[in-house]
Amino acid sequence: MRPTRLLAILFALLVPGLALAHGPTRQKVTLEAEVAAPASEVWAVIGNFQDMSWHPAVAASEGEGGNAIDATRVLHLGAPDGPTISEILYKYDADKMSYSYRITDVAVEVLPVTNYSSHLTVKPVDDTHSIVEWRGAFYRGYPNNDPPPELNDEAAIAAVTGVYKAGLDALVARFASN
Amino acid sequence: MPAIERFLSLAFIPALAATPVAAGDFAFVTNQNSSDLSILDLDARTEVKRIEVPGKPAGISVDEAHGWFFTVSPDSKTVRRFDIATATEQSETTLDGGPIGVAVDGAGGRIFVSDWYNARIWVLDAETLEQRGTLETGSAPAGMAVAADGSWLASADRDANRVSVFDLTTLELRHAITVGERPFGISAGPDGMIYAANVGSNSVTVADPATGQVTGTVEVGERPYGIAFAQGAGFVTNQYGDTVSVFGLDDLAVEATLDVGEYPEGIDVTEDGRTIVVANWFSNSVSLIDAASRTVTGEIGTGDGPRAFGHFIARDHGEGRP
Repeated sequence: MRPTRLLAILFALLVPGLALAHGPTRQKVTLEAEVAAPASEVWAVIGNFQDMSWHPAVAASEGEGGNAIDATRVLHLGAPDGPTISEILYKYDADKMSYSYRITDVAVEVLPVTNYSSHLTVKPVDDTHSIVEWRGAFYRGYPNNDPPPELNDEAAIAAVTGVYKAGLDALVARFASN
Repeated sequence: MPAIERFLSLAFIPALAATPVAAGDFAFVTNQNSSDLSILDLDARTEVKRIEVPGKPAGISVDEAHGWFFTVSPDSKTVRRFDIATATEQSETTLDGGPIGVAVDGAGGRIFVSDWYNARIWVLDAETLEQRGTLETGSAPAGMAVAADGSWLASADRDANRVSVFDLTTLELRHAITVGERPFGISAGPDGMIYAANVGSNSVTVADPATGQVTGTVEVGERPYGIAFAQGAGFVTNQYGDTVSVFGLDDLAVEATLDVGEYPEGIDVTEDGRTIVVANWFSNSVSLIDAASRTVTGEIGTGDGPRAFGHFIARDHGEGRP
């Protein structure tokens, strides 16, 4: 998915949400993609929590704390002055090539989820290939009963799936010439 | 015939019909994402049956005195009563609101169902599931605990940062206790105290149901969810930590932190107090913890998204159903 289309989907949602509350059923999404590069090479690209420039939707970011626990980052989507997602790192394991983070602040108009957490892992396949796995756990954007369609469980799953697919597709393309 | 033996022999393991089945513990795990329930034989360490429970079930409570278990499906707003022996549904009702948690008042023939969206608890007849009344709580009640002697009911009112304590004789509010941030899971300790897990402040609040006073706080892992007790210790699932914190009940000091599966949620203990069972929501499994040695000893697969939010372990006493 091209970033412009991704943003169009994200911006189609225009209902305010509550910061703390969430819906009744947590959702999970797991996507993975095989990449034509050794795991160490892929980890070198995506293993820095402070640099998400590998994802086509991320135009700019700033952060603090490097890859230490409780490090933070603010992602700007689509353009350097675009809408933001604020995130915090809560697990980081360079040996396992894996880290976990959660969103601390995002408008449901940008990403229709609440209480979102995510894990990104690179798994070796062989000397020239690896698998990138991206997992998310989250509630829908609308915290109350009977959500509008743009903020229901399906909308949340579709939006997160779109973000993951765009990122993984970009990684596959990046290493395709290897 | 013992309840579980009948269930085993009739339902799915005919070969065991003639064999005496030792009394043992079974777990009834609500799988929210796959809308079903896994029945796990904790001695054999295997899933013995999976039954459909439509509507994304989360809340669970076993009622060993009657041989029942109850489930709550928030998406369809349905509460169901099942027979343990046959694992078949006996009755169901739909509640207008946001049902999520369920607790059993075995002696009184009632169950309590929390209404996440309307700051109240429904009181239902345990057998018919007819509504008998409501109790007013703080905002977003989730988990509930009933005293061992049946004298009180406590609810974790998540968005009010409070625990409500009700007298189960009069059904009147006895205390509204301010705890940590966003309590979700709550349990009655063997010491008669209330333990509430605060997902927002990564702590467990200990409170006295008699006085309404907070008597202690335990700092645990990230996003604590559920609490169980064994061997003089409390065991707390940390959703974001993928761990279980173990703390002493006498000094409230964390003694160990155990790695379990991903997004551990529901937690309960076998009747002999030897085994703690943890539902791993992301991993689609339960972890088994030896309570004495504080080590993870095994894992059993479940359906998709096990929550097991409530008391989910029942023991077959070899006595049959009442």
